[in-house]
Amino acid sequence: MSEGDIRLEGLVKRYGDVLAVDGIDLHVPAGEFFTMLGPSGCGKTTTLRMIAGFERPDEGEILLDGSDMSSTPPHKRRVNTVFQNYALFTHKTVAENVGFGLRYQKVSKDETNRRVRAVMEMVQISELGERRTSELSGGQQQRVALARALVLEAPVLLLDEPLGALDARLRLDLQVELKRIQEQLEVTFIYVTHDQDEALTMSDRVAVMKDGKIEQCDVPQKLYEEPSTAFVANFLGSANLLSVEARAAGAGCDVILGSFTLKSESSPEQAGTGTAMIRPEYVKLEPHGSEGENRIPGMVEEVVYMGFHQDVRVRLANGDLIRADVPNDGDSPEYEQGNAVAVHLRAANLRVLDDYPDELADKPAGDADIAAL
Amino acid sequence: MSTTSLRNPWGKPRWLVGITWVYILWSLLPVLLAIRFAFNSGRSRTSLQGWSTKWFFGDNSFSVFGDPTLQDALTHSLVLAGLAMLIATPLGIMLAIGLQRWRGRGSGPANIVALLPLVTPELVFAVGLFLLFTTAMTTIGLGTTAQVIGHVTFSMSFVVVIVRGRLITIGPDVEEAAADLGAPPLAVIWRVLLPLLAPAVAASLLIVFALSIDDFVVSQYLASGADTTTVPMRIYAQARAAPTPALNALATLMLAFTLIALGLAYAIFRFFSRGEKGGSAIEQIASIDSGGGR
Repeated sequence: MSEGDIRLEGLVKRYGDVLAVDGIDLHVPAGEFFTMLGPSGCGKTTTLRMIAGFERPDEGEILLDGSDMSSTPPHKRRVNTVFQNYALFTHKTVAENVGFGLRYQKVSKDETNRRVRAVMEMVQISELGERRTSELSGGQQQRVALARALVLEAPVLLLDEPLGALDARLRLDLQVELKRIQEQLEVTFIYVTHDQDEALTMSDRVAVMKDGKIEQCDVPQKLYEEPSTAFVANFLGSANLLSVEARAAGAGCDVILGSFTLKSESSPEQAGTGTAMIRPEYVKLEPHGSEGENRIPGMVEEVVYMGFHQDVRVRLANGDLIRADVPNDGDSPEYEQGNAVAVHLRAANLRVLDDYPDELADKPAGDADIAAL
Repeated sequence: MSTTSLRNPWGKPRWLVGITWVYILWSLLPVLLAIRFAFNSGRSRTSLQGWSTKWFFGDNSFSVFGDPTLQDALTHSLVLAGLAMLIATPLGIMLAIGLQRWRGRGSGPANIVALLPLVTPELVFAVGLFLLFTTAMTTIGLGTTAQVIGHVTFSMSFVVVIVRGRLITIGPDVEEAAADLGAPPLAVIWRVLLPLLAPAVAASLLIVFALSIDDFVVSQYLASGADTTTVPMRIYAQARAAPTPALNALATLMLAFTLIALGLAYAIFRFFSRGEKGGSAIEQIASIDSGGGR
């Protein structure tokens, strides 16, 4: 069995009366790029800090390759951390920073030099060895922080929003590079971020967290296409949320929206009063009068030009407002306010969610149904 | 034209510049005068009588290096300041680290108590110590030991302020990073925290030295006799009896020691914090020094 298998069992952390982490169960197999995604205050960083050993869980166990390490101090844990603000040792050179941890591993001088050189080469900072860390750019500092953690060859690497302080262009580059390094070393990465793009592009699996709990945990594609709750649907991309009545119908559901009955491929177990979700890019606008299942007549209420697409808001015949992304690909028609259209909500993309979001309950039906980020 | 500068908001604030310079000159004038009389060739401390260094090195028994009482005072002051510096700085660093990490019940009051000597009137503090050493802790009694304890006690608060300022700048992350990379707790302090604290340590050492060397009230109250007389005490006593320009010479030497100490503090601070952005700690030192002219 390769090393780096992390298992969290019933992990709880309280700060006074605040429940920061509320019973997390999680299994990250060795070599996985696993991301914890969520808004600030959702408990993702606290969970990471408990794995690193900086915080003590109030309840639960943290198992690395099967043995509990929740009472092992951080300096004895075989996990290393890349900090959000890098936390470099400003009184040391880049090479000294990278080699810092090796001193405590009883590694010979030659071996230390060899490993420091190798890891600096891997993260492309070979020529910076004698520089002071304060002379480096943000991206370079991030690479030093990464090298310093990687050089110890721990089976698990924890990354706490490592790209958070960098500009967008650099972030993209480093995302690709992090993924490359992770695949090359086959190390388990546990990555914390609030950036949905980072989560989707790099991860093997993503756990979306909310209020100290895991809301949904799955591969990125599943999370995006089949979110189980409105929170997940909204956090990853944007979503149209509709108050509906769902009824079991064969292998799927019938979704009752006002006087219209639509098909959905969601499991019949989702039947009941609830919320249906469809992503704006899956909402297809067809010429007025188009026939077929899952089509509802509507009228364009507003068009917002967004560059690569148009954001078209359509008032459906039942009174709900729905948002459609119409690509600016040269083929799609340009819509104007007042156009009559048929809105096609495909059964495969119309998902019945587990929850009934509070914000929908509080507001009058109609305009409240758009919850776009 | 001052009126144009008043009307023109982009013009240089000449008035403010002028007032600043007047203030600087006014505050330096007495010091410069005192130094000038240290080099007076006559006996007078009020009328100028040519230049001489005889009050420093003269072979008469009135010069700093001729009068054994002045020499003893200088030696005693330096010994006191040295001891205070070497004791207060490590204690203050430990206290600062402890206070910084202490969260929860009791940490608030402890923080206030640790900084109390900064605002306590020195006379109250000195009288309190005097009573303590003459009634409760008579085994120590008055004398050099009591003076060192007194100086250490009040100057430790300054060390705490300087070191904590630096600790806040450093932040908790580097300590966590070091532990994460495998450094045991003591190694975290020795290899990461103390090197990063170096500028604050240097500043603390020399601030304590400067504070101790020009302290009068505490030294006076805890003194036990002639052999525990410090330079400020000597100057005060002799100024009332038979003052000569040798007192000015002694004061000039004291000023030189203090300035050298502060200059060193600044240079060492700059050396250790080179390449870092911002100067929050150096500003703190400046503010402490100006506030510390007890």
